[in-house]
Amino acid sequence: MLKKKKIAVVLALLAAVLIFAVPVCIKYSRGSKAYETSGYAMGTYILQTVYGENGREASDRASEKIHNLENKISWRINSSEIAKLNKQAGKGSTAVDKETCSILKTSLDVAEKSDGAFDPTILPVSSLWGFGGGKPHLPDENKIKSAVGLVGYAKLEVGADGRSASLASVGSGVDLGGIGKGAACDAAVAEYKKRGAKAGIVAAGGSIGVYGTKPDGSAWNIAVRDPDSTDDKSSAMGEINISSGFVSTSGPYEQYFVSNGKTYHHLLNPKTGYPENNDLISVTVTAENGALSDALSTACFVLGRKKGSRLLEKYGAGGVFIDKAKKVYVTDNLNGKFKISEDGYKLAD
Amino acid sequence: MFRKKDLLIIIPFLAAAGILALWFGAKPSYGIAIVEKDGKEVCRFDLSEQKTSRIIDIGGSMNIKLLLEPGAISFYRSDCPDQTCVRTGRLTKPGQAAVCLPGKVSVRVISDGNSVKKYDGYTG
Repeated sequence: MLKKKKIAVVLALLAAVLIFAVPVCIKYSRGSKAYETSGYAMGTYILQTVYGENGREASDRASEKIHNLENKISWRINSSEIAKLNKQAGKGSTAVDKETCSILKTSLDVAEKSDGAFDPTILPVSSLWGFGGGKPHLPDENKIKSAVGLVGYAKLEVGADGRSASLASVGSGVDLGGIGKGAACDAAVAEYKKRGAKAGIVAAGGSIGVYGTKPDGSAWNIAVRDPDSTDDKSSAMGEINISSGFVSTSGPYEQYFVSNGKTYHHLLNPKTGYPENNDLISVTVTAENGALSDALSTACFVLGRKKGSRLLEKYGAGGVFIDKAKKVYVTDNLNGKFKISEDGYKLAD
Repeated sequence: MFRKKDLLIIIPFLAAAGILALWFGAKPSYGIAIVEKDGKEVCRFDLSEQKTSRIIDIGGSMNIKLLLEPGAISFYRSDCPDQTCVRTGRLTKPGQAAVCLPGKVSVRVISDGNSVKKYDGYTG
């Protein structure tokens, strides 16, 4: 009798310990050791979370790499390789390093395969609009027409030696704004790997790169920003689960201005010189390379859903297209990896 | 044999455990908002502890003001030309961030240990 009573008391104590311990364990497991940093580069906000004993070193070195990259590829920095390339337009070739060369090659490849929907030589047009730095405004119509004539990826050539590049026409110019943030993610992830970080995630504007396995072993859960939220614009419309790779989103909802009652956004069509206004409000692309995911998301937005999907097939990339009716089109290779989390959005048949 | 009297011993333990579990596990939690200027932290706020709404004057070249509310923080105003920061809206969950690039001021929300970081990152 006494023995049974003792067992009952012990069991009750165990239950009490479990009831107390489980939430406490959950609480502390949530706060796994991570090194988080933020900063500015590439005309955007860079946020890193790196796990592991050397997370701090990996994160710091990644920040340095991103700043070095910006100093090479930003057309706004006078001493950059791209600024020198632009100054040398129509006059001959300019020396560029291996990393710049690789980004130029990726941008040319996407330009060619997208039939110029993404074009690295868009600077004559993009500089008129003033997005991403100056005060965005509606440029003079004639100036846009003249500038469009200077755009054309065929004018850009990368030397066979992989160490030089040239622009064929005076007045042409390279703007890598549509690929640079993804390239920054590439640089950060490469550094996490090199420094032996356990895992890490970097966000540069709308682009994200992930590396390694999270401490809890789960896949990286990336929120796709709700392009149409009214109050909480940082809320999500859906989520993508990936174990590795890169994600980029292009949407007209972040950088825009209103002039004479009309809205103008930053996703410019290189062929018209004006913001692309098709049926899309957001395009998210997943790829194994950050520069590629970034360039493809821009290209797909300009191309529209059908042509954009065909472009993604060429690269084996994944895509989530959202149209103005809030219909969501997901490429087959993202089945099971993407899900909608916000009412009002509906998966298309 | 288990007797009703034994409940006098068991119930207080279960009640105490339940209260502690609620305290640690179910306390509403939104995370910590970290405000940074030129990449350096200038202040932080526990969003779960906010009982009233108030304006935080960050100043700087863009005369930035933040709105701190119970469970949320947002850019209230900025003199920046693009207004991207203001349009970002309210931050309510760990992992979210809003940035004024011209003013070089950012706000990001991190987990306070109790709050669940639902997403590892935001794209878009």
